[in-house]
Amino acid sequence: MFETILIANRGEIALRVIRTCRELGLRTVAVHSEVDADALHTRLADEAICIGPADPTRSYLHIPAIIAAAEITGADAVHPGYGFLSENPEFAETCAQCGLEFIGPLPEQMRRWGDKVSARALAKSLGLPTIEGTELVEDVEDAVKKAEALGFPVLLKASGGGGGRGMHILQSKEELRAIFETARAESRAAFGNDALYFETFIERPRHIEFQILGDKHGNIQVLGERECSIQRRHQKILEEAPSVALSDEARSDMSATIRRAMGEAGYISAGTLEFLLDDRGELTFLEMNPRIQVEHPVTELVMGVDLVAEQIRIADGQELALPERPLSPRGHAIECRINAEDPDTFAPSPGTITELHMAGGTGVRVDSGVYGGGRVPPNYDPLVAKLIVHAPTRAQAIAKMRRALSETLIGGIRTNIPLHQRILAHPAFEEGRFSTRFLDELQA
Amino acid sequence: MKLDLDQLRELIRLLDESNLTEIEVEHDDDRIRVRRDPAPVAVTSQAVAPTALVGSTHASGAPEDDDGNYLTSPFVGTFYRAPSPESDSFVEVGDSITPGQVLCIVEAMKLMNEIESEVAGTIVEILVENGKPVEYGDRLFRIETT
Repeated sequence: MFETILIANRGEIALRVIRTCRELGLRTVAVHSEVDADALHTRLADEAICIGPADPTRSYLHIPAIIAAAEITGADAVHPGYGFLSENPEFAETCAQCGLEFIGPLPEQMRRWGDKVSARALAKSLGLPTIEGTELVEDVEDAVKKAEALGFPVLLKASGGGGGRGMHILQSKEELRAIFETARAESRAAFGNDALYFETFIERPRHIEFQILGDKHGNIQVLGERECSIQRRHQKILEEAPSVALSDEARSDMSATIRRAMGEAGYISAGTLEFLLDDRGELTFLEMNPRIQVEHPVTELVMGVDLVAEQIRIADGQELALPERPLSPRGHAIECRINAEDPDTFAPSPGTITELHMAGGTGVRVDSGVYGGGRVPPNYDPLVAKLIVHAPTRAQAIAKMRRALSETLIGGIRTNIPLHQRILAHPAFEEGRFSTRFLDELQA
Repeated sequence: MKLDLDQLRELIRLLDESNLTEIEVEHDDDRIRVRRDPAPVAVTSQAVAPTALVGSTHASGAPEDDDGNYLTSPFVGTFYRAPSPESDSFVEVGDSITPGQVLCIVEAMKLMNEIESEVAGTIVEILVENGKPVEYGDRLFRIETT
């Protein structure tokens, strides 16, 4: 087993990894930028190394600095968390060349699943139900041809895009002609890559994703689904497990399909397969995220697993301890992402947290990277805490989350807690009748 | 050809911040090309080709303190006072230094990055022991500027 793990990340996910390492008896090394010198992950790790200035391209994204930090601290493995370098195959390769175990999938798996067009083709070849889409388009005329063949309305997507950025819903070829060059320029500016393609636009889908684990011995475990339809501009805000929209039969059918497909692909480590669920109850594969996800705790609570510990054991070469029968979810879990942002305008609200009281009590879990008196720097993403609850039923979980939110006090910055309270009080949410359009309609 | 040092620095910085291995700029009859070894981690010997390039990309060591008298580490890595174990140290306490003079090496990922002074002055104190790890921003030398 490894002795020392370097965590190439910050904030709540760095802490999340440090906690599991502690429990496994592993030494931890945090890396941090200058503005994170007093951050919680810096304080709680066994050792902390300053790797650069606030600008993430010169610190958390700067591969040589992170490798050098691993070298001077004698780390033998690197956990990338999510975001930053977690899906960067060059980073995984560099780790391997430097004798560091990268806790995640193989570089070629990241490449294969990271490119959305090739991921869709791969998923299709593995027998997963896949959303209809096109190859990359060449120019506006080719785009019109491909979009018409697919059938309007279509979704124009940037191949390099992610997190919901770089997408346009188009109803007609006139609309397509009008926006095409702008979309291409936007994509080039935002992702350094102007490759575009189309997908069938599904009107009011739910976003359902399946958590998987794969070990180095060819075993795949599917750990049920998460419902992540509550999104703002394709950014997930609130997630739950299991989904009310999926029957036990649908869950177990799709789990079996995924288990076979990902076994054939030989996938290693934690990963998430994202699907859209349409109003006829059909699941179609959208993309695969080859990393731990922000919303992983809801799966941990209903499935009774520690996904980070599993990632570490898998990287160490251990075999998954597969249960005789596939696990089924126990109870219901909800996660609210608490962001440092204005609940109405969504403008970021960095600053110093003057006072902090997080909720507690039975069935409440808090994954956070902040403390009273600490700062939320403006340089990184606005997630300050994840409030997660677990209860026997969905109704009880909703009641528990409302209670937990009412106890939570974060002073000095604005947060989206009021937005979460509005969501949890909404009858459609309570009844489980919603799509990815829910939040847009609530705001309207 | 006319070589504008600032432009060159800017190019090197661009290269360093990107995933590119080569940048070539052509203007009238002038042409500048900066490139780096595409697989720097494979380099194991000391002070080889990429050294000068990578080293000069971070001719940092800008004194940042109130007294304006410290050279700080532009990298996380291992601090070396000499180009090789057999060599003399680049500088000793009491030495006069000039801008652009190499004061030490910070090794990161098997690359020997030469760290240059940006100021003229005298070395007053060497704050890190040879062979010890340094973090980004650690003070390496105290310099009395002239």
